[in-house]
Amino acid sequence: MTNDEVKVDAPQDEVKEVTKEVPLCSGIDCGKPAGKLQCPTCLKLGKASFFCSQDCFKKSWVEHKRAHPTPIKNPFPNFNFTGKLRPAYPLSAKREVPASIPRPDYADHPQGVSQSEVNEKTTVAILNEKDIEGMRKVCRLAREVLDIAAAAVRPGITTDEIDRIVHEACIERDSYPSPLNYSGFPKSVCTSINEVICHGIPDQRPLEDGDIINIDVTLYHGGYHGDINETYYVGPKSYTKENVWLVETARQCLDKAISIVKPGMPFREPGNVIEKLAKGRKLGVVRTYCGHGVHKLFHCLPNIPHYARNKAVGIAKEGQTFSIEPMINGGGWRDHTWPDGWTSSTLDGSYSSQFEHTMLVTKDGVEVLTARLPNSPGGPPSQEILDNLGIKFNDL
Amino acid sequence: MEDDDEMPPSLVVADDGELQQPAAPQTDVAMYPEDENIQKVPITIVTGYLGAGKSTLMNYILTAQHNKKIAVILNEFGDSADIEKSLTVSGDGALVEEWLEVANGCICCTVKDNGVQAIENLMEKKGKFDYILLETTGLADPGNIAPMFWLDDGVGSTIYLDGIVTLVDASNIVRTLDEGDPETKKELTTAHLQISHADVVVLNKRDLISDEQLEEAKERIRAINGLARIIVTERGKVDKLDGWLLDINAYSTVTELKAGPPSKLDKSIATYNVTVPLVDEKLLSHVERWIQVLLWDGKLPAKEGVKEVQIHRLKGRLQDQSGKKLLVQGVREVYEIVDSPKQKEGVEEESASTGKLVLIGKGLEGVDLQGSIDWFLHGNGVDEWASQ
Repeated sequence: MTNDEVKVDAPQDEVKEVTKEVPLCSGIDCGKPAGKLQCPTCLKLGKASFFCSQDCFKKSWVEHKRAHPTPIKNPFPNFNFTGKLRPAYPLSAKREVPASIPRPDYADHPQGVSQSEVNEKTTVAILNEKDIEGMRKVCRLAREVLDIAAAAVRPGITTDEIDRIVHEACIERDSYPSPLNYSGFPKSVCTSINEVICHGIPDQRPLEDGDIINIDVTLYHGGYHGDINETYYVGPKSYTKENVWLVETARQCLDKAISIVKPGMPFREPGNVIEKLAKGRKLGVVRTYCGHGVHKLFHCLPNIPHYARNKAVGIAKEGQTFSIEPMINGGGWRDHTWPDGWTSSTLDGSYSSQFEHTMLVTKDGVEVLTARLPNSPGGPPSQEILDNLGIKFNDL
Repeated sequence: MEDDDEMPPSLVVADDGELQQPAAPQTDVAMYPEDENIQKVPITIVTGYLGAGKSTLMNYILTAQHNKKIAVILNEFGDSADIEKSLTVSGDGALVEEWLEVANGCICCTVKDNGVQAIENLMEKKGKFDYILLETTGLADPGNIAPMFWLDDGVGSTIYLDGIVTLVDASNIVRTLDEGDPETKKELTTAHLQISHADVVVLNKRDLISDEQLEEAKERIRAINGLARIIVTERGKVDKLDGWLLDINAYSTVTELKAGPPSKLDKSIATYNVTVPLVDEKLLSHVERWIQVLLWDGKLPAKEGVKEVQIHRLKGRLQDQSGKKLLVQGVREVYEIVDSPKQKEGVEEESASTGKLVLIGKGLEGVDLQGSIDWFLHGNGVDEWASQ
């Protein structure tokens, strides 16, 4: 670094007096006494680098800026964000998956298109015993990976770091992280904070005490996808009345929807159950995204909307696997998408919470393949917290 | 901001204290009306064989004096994802051509079709139209396109499906229906599909045929689709657009349910009807299940000998003991049963002693449709089909 050399090379006795009052110019081969002009970037970083003139600064710029760390910034400064959250770029480099791990067909497609999904658009698959065993296994692995990610949630950790943890946990389990390159998604997990509804891209923003974060994990293992997500409270400040009301309602909406799943249930029915509960609590149900079939394909039929009075086609039959994943907003149901093409945020800036399970329709009911384990992190707050917040759910 | 890399920022005077923070972007929260208060624009799907006069009709609509802002969207490949071009005529008759920006690839698990999204985006950019006409290719099966535009109210789209208009060439429609598909050698042709899904059939080129031939053509169309209105035209000229090509309201109202006796004229597709007794909640759920088996499983449940069927269009009116009326609408697999809108306004409607369902489809010829629903509602049918 040029400026240090100049200082070191300068005979100490001579400069001593001067440096006290006037630092030396950091310009390349300059060494003149600088005035009060400083590089604004260095100043922000708490580092002093003085220059004698804008001219000298300009001449040294190419060299000088190398000393700056890559700045973290919002790549869409002109976008009308509806809440306080901003993307924190640059994203980290694409994480690689060892070639030894079997990949879904879209993993190496330039636009991340899944040809097998494009080809299969008409029927809801009935799984055989082998398929079901494959689904049980991948869903169990997905639960493990989600739990590992959830255990890392704390104020200060970046979502990029959570992405790394998820990515490595997938690889340890001989699994491909399904979101990676799906329709071009750049990361291995979706992390959706506060007003983000879903499909948030892990970036350099550290979690803050008071945030809520949804982590949406999907693994591809043995030829099957297992899809799961949960919302977590970040730090003690996140247990506000509004947050708990929202997050616990979203959790209960999923539970209630699952409770009606059995052979013969029309796919239009979960939406009625979910919207009734959410609406009764003055919360909005997101309508743009719906539950979906998941097995050998990441997303396929059936479509299971989460809103009431929908015209979804079909009834549940034994041997089908699909997800239900209600997204509940603190305010209105409307969403909009950030210019990154992925991040879906509430249109009114209110917070949003989501929970998801992958399930199997059994002979007389449902098996939740991604069910929580006894030691799974997260989960509803204690009764004590609910009491302190004065929250009672009377409508369950 | 690439400037960062190219040019240095201005130096700052350190003593002047802190840097100015850039002003926060304006958070102009565009609040939408939360629920159903959105002014929606009707979209009409226009189908018809090559040579039926679609382009002539479109040109007529685009150039006729109607003081309406109409967008004609061309769909070249029979799949709404391939919508690409839009012609818009403004109230003052000026034509504007626009390319639609259809998103590439799929965004996972969205409920809205890319084509719908593209049209919504176009309107956001260009302002609302009064009407949208979606002109399909001559070989399009409208039954594949209609469900994409028959959106749930819940998704809050700015467009709604008004209906399907099919143009046929009066001078050769009978021959086309008789000859079957020249390529697949099947009885069922695209012409059949275009007629069976239609809410309005425009019988064009009247000037080329005799009165007897016109009657024959009408009869053939009615035999396939007893619900559609038939308009006879010459050279694509229509007396008026409203109620004929625009404002059809085919998916929001159930008007005439006068399907005549089943016709023997066309063995491929025909219109049939069944009567349904006054319903209570339980019986209604049974009726619904019967509809589901027909539409979703493509099967006609029966005590003996389940038959394969394909329902293209379904309309009906049901009534409960209290006099409450329900409307039934369906196209292919998608259906809904909703409260009759007149009911909401408190307008007295004449009470009927039964409800009625009209079905247009394939495979219904010679089957006991009434027997099927009666067995389903009053016998063991509903239990047998509860979760099949």
